[in-house]
Amino acid sequence: MNLLADGVSFAYEPSQPVLTDVRAVIERGGLVGILGPNGSGKTTLLRLLGGLRTPQRGKVTLDGVDLRTLGRAAAARRIAVVPQETQLAFEYTVLEMAVMGRYPHLGSFEIEGPDDLAIARDALRATGTLHLESRFFNTLSGGEKQRVVIAGAIAQFTQGERAADATEVLLLDEPTASLDLAYQLEIRTILRQLNERRNLTVVVSTHDLNLAAGLCRDLILLDRGRVLAAGPAADMLKPALIEQLYGVEVDIAVHERTGRLTVVPVARARTEHRQQP
Amino acid sequence: MSIRRRIAFTWLGFGAGAFVVCLFAPLIGSTSIDFSRVFDTSIPFADNTDAQIFFVARLPRVLAGAMVGAALAAAGVVFQALLRNPLATPFTLGVSAGAALGAMLALTLNLPSGIAGFSAVPIASFAGSLGAVAIVYGLARARRQGLSTNVLLLAGVTLNSFFSALILFVQFLADYTQTFRTVRWLMGDLDVSSYAPLIAAVPPLALSFAAFAVLPRSMNLLSISDESAASRGVDVHRAQRLAFLSASLATGAAVSLGGPVGFIGIVVPHLVRLLVGADHRLVLPASAFGGAAFLVACDTLSRTMLAPLEVPVGVVTAIIGGPFFLWLLIRNR
Amino acid sequence: MAADKKSIVLVVIIALFALCSRAPTAQAPAAPQRIVSLIPAVTEMLFSIGAGPRVIGVGNFDRYPPEAQTRTKVGGLIDPDIERIISLKPDLVAVYATQTDLRTQMERARIPVYLYQHSVDPDAVADITATIRSLSKRVGSERAGEELARHIDDDIASTRRRVAGKPRPKTLLVFGRDAETLRGIYASGAVGFLHGMLDAAGGANVFADVNRQSIQATTELILARAPEVIVEIGIDTASSKSRSLRAWAVLGSVPAVRTHRIYQIRGDEMMNPGPRVARAVRRMAEALHPEAFK
Repeated sequence: MNLLADGVSFAYEPSQPVLTDVRAVIERGGLVGILGPNGSGKTTLLRLLGGLRTPQRGKVTLDGVDLRTLGRAAAARRIAVVPQETQLAFEYTVLEMAVMGRYPHLGSFEIEGPDDLAIARDALRATGTLHLESRFFNTLSGGEKQRVVIAGAIAQFTQGERAADATEVLLLDEPTASLDLAYQLEIRTILRQLNERRNLTVVVSTHDLNLAAGLCRDLILLDRGRVLAAGPAADMLKPALIEQLYGVEVDIAVHERTGRLTVVPVARARTEHRQQP
Repeated sequence: MSIRRRIAFTWLGFGAGAFVVCLFAPLIGSTSIDFSRVFDTSIPFADNTDAQIFFVARLPRVLAGAMVGAALAAAGVVFQALLRNPLATPFTLGVSAGAALGAMLALTLNLPSGIAGFSAVPIASFAGSLGAVAIVYGLARARRQGLSTNVLLLAGVTLNSFFSALILFVQFLADYTQTFRTVRWLMGDLDVSSYAPLIAAVPPLALSFAAFAVLPRSMNLLSISDESAASRGVDVHRAQRLAFLSASLATGAAVSLGGPVGFIGIVVPHLVRLLVGADHRLVLPASAFGGAAFLVACDTLSRTMLAPLEVPVGVVTAIIGGPFFLWLLIRNR
Repeated sequence: MAADKKSIVLVVIIALFALCSRAPTAQAPAAPQRIVSLIPAVTEMLFSIGAGPRVIGVGNFDRYPPEAQTRTKVGGLIDPDIERIISLKPDLVAVYATQTDLRTQMERARIPVYLYQHSVDPDAVADITATIRSLSKRVGSERAGEELARHIDDDIASTRRRVAGKPRPKTLLVFGRDAETLRGIYASGAVGFLHGMLDAAGGANVFADVNRQSIQATTELILARAPEVIVEIGIDTASSKSRSLRAWAVLGSVPAVRTHRIYQIRGDEMMNPGPRVARAVRRMAEALHPEAFK
């Protein structure tokens, strides 16, 4: 039971491949980070895993079924993608944003019913934003916005907050990139809770080493469109691998109070592996 | 209130409002008519001036106003969602410029009527609008990944400028009276004086509104971002195509019927959002009804304000719409 | 004898002086020989008074007489070609009074102008002959102009007499509409030369209460005013007469439609306040009062 990218290759323009023969296994219930510098193809891999794009070679399967076969609506009920930033041109309320997550469950002209509303509210509660339900989304702080968007994403799943039998995956693209420190901590806490309490599979793409270290149990290291290494975070966060990936010499240590790995950059690597994009 | 009830109330409330406006509008005019005579079937129609004024002059005009107003307001909503910009109008992407060019050419070349008694101007105008749509769509699709809204906007705005330049050129080549006619056409005119143009406009408008019926939920999602929509199961390319083509078709038909009447496509959706919120399942039907009521009301003003002279309806919508829009902008500071 | 001779010489000398002194002061201005006209009506007038050979430049829309089309075209009301006008080295240019830019340029180039203005008098038709008289004086063909003007005046007066005393039908005078439809109908108001023609032809303008040259006649307005006769002028020759007339059928309660008194008078003399105005008035009168011309 997993979300699997099986030897996928993708390019936006034929002459510029972004991903080459990538294999990524996301086990059900996992908390996985896709780690790499900018331009390594993280966002693209996330999009492929989310079914937002189709790989030119290889396939993406959910619990063994190719996403293309599964169909858009069915996929939308089990895979949700949270973009890095959400900017609205119109004044939707927080509740409206959450309820939009229920659309994959509605027929063509069907209107959401009390069940859908309950699930949407549960989702808001799970991210600690229920008290904001009547507020306009545009008036919220960055951290609040991100939490509401996550709520909207988990509302896509069949029973919302409560666990289901099939693999349900939440994909987040750089979830803390534009947030203040306090909000970063908030998001990490929420994601961990969602993963632990309801067995939600969480995949995060990031270039932030400390987010990867502080949140993820497993990591996939992506280097210029290819998988450099994949495995438990503790095994991936080794100075040699990090230096190869980022071209930076780092010190990795276990932080006393939190018990988590921390990564501190020390100096530019002596041997230059990377070309800056 | 649940969304279901809100949708029902919106349809009923705005629908009733539009109905009432359209009911009263033919009763008002620059001439006073005797209503007992209007509906007196014992008088042969050809002798009954009051009935003729009601059924030939006023009623088709009110219906035209309702159709054009509904089409332009709804198209405005759809374009705003598609381009993710509340300042988009049905005229942003060049459809109206194409229609105007078609009309200009027909007026300047004084083309005789085209088909089965239909005047050349609406036909040429509609053809022009379709041409513009085809060009913009073709340009925006040139990139491999479906309809990019950025390219769409660029293509539309560029086409607008180009067609506007051509229009000026045609006006320059025309002689004085033709130039006056073309300028007058740009100000809008709902005096159709027969039901034939209305009936001719029904097929494209029906098609567009059929699409409008299925779009609102997708529009909610699309108006956030392509990825939000795709992640929730929307076929983004298909939805964008449908939105663009249906809104353009409605705009082309409306402009061919009554000329490019401005401000409806932006004032009415804005006003409606202030009243019902941003959910397109409310905004779209409310705007359609609101647009109909607004234009019919403006047209009633246009033919009574300075009777027996008529103020072109586009001027009236501008006089009302302009200051209202300024007020909206100031209010939002 | 010596005294007589002296007086004769004195007289001769005085006479010579008188002649010589008169010559420079009494020199009359020479008639213009290189005339440019931007106004169709004025061009027609010039040719009608025999000044045609002296016309070297005409406006873009000057089509009558056919000979005028052989002259160099120099633009019109909106876009006079100033360079071309100057290059023709005219000694008189007839311009619209409203063409202020052009007038300034002519002044700078020291080219004399003749100012023309579309009349907005109620008696605009009479202004045509007044213009003929003043124009002919200006170009040195006063006699021909006076003759032409008198001829026109007499002709129009004769038409007026023929229709005098007859009931004036309520007339809608249409000078433009979108081809073969009822959209964009423009009719004459109670001011201007079209109204003047209608009045001379024995018609009563349905818009006699509207003090404008033109009014857009909407469907409701036409139905309400119920004209007894509809006269259409300024028709494009390309449009079909039968289809054009059929367009009016939808206004069934209008007397003009019911009695089939809708007349299309083609020909550009109907729209030009020029020397053919008498003929235009007569054609209109024939349509309004056919029985007076049998």
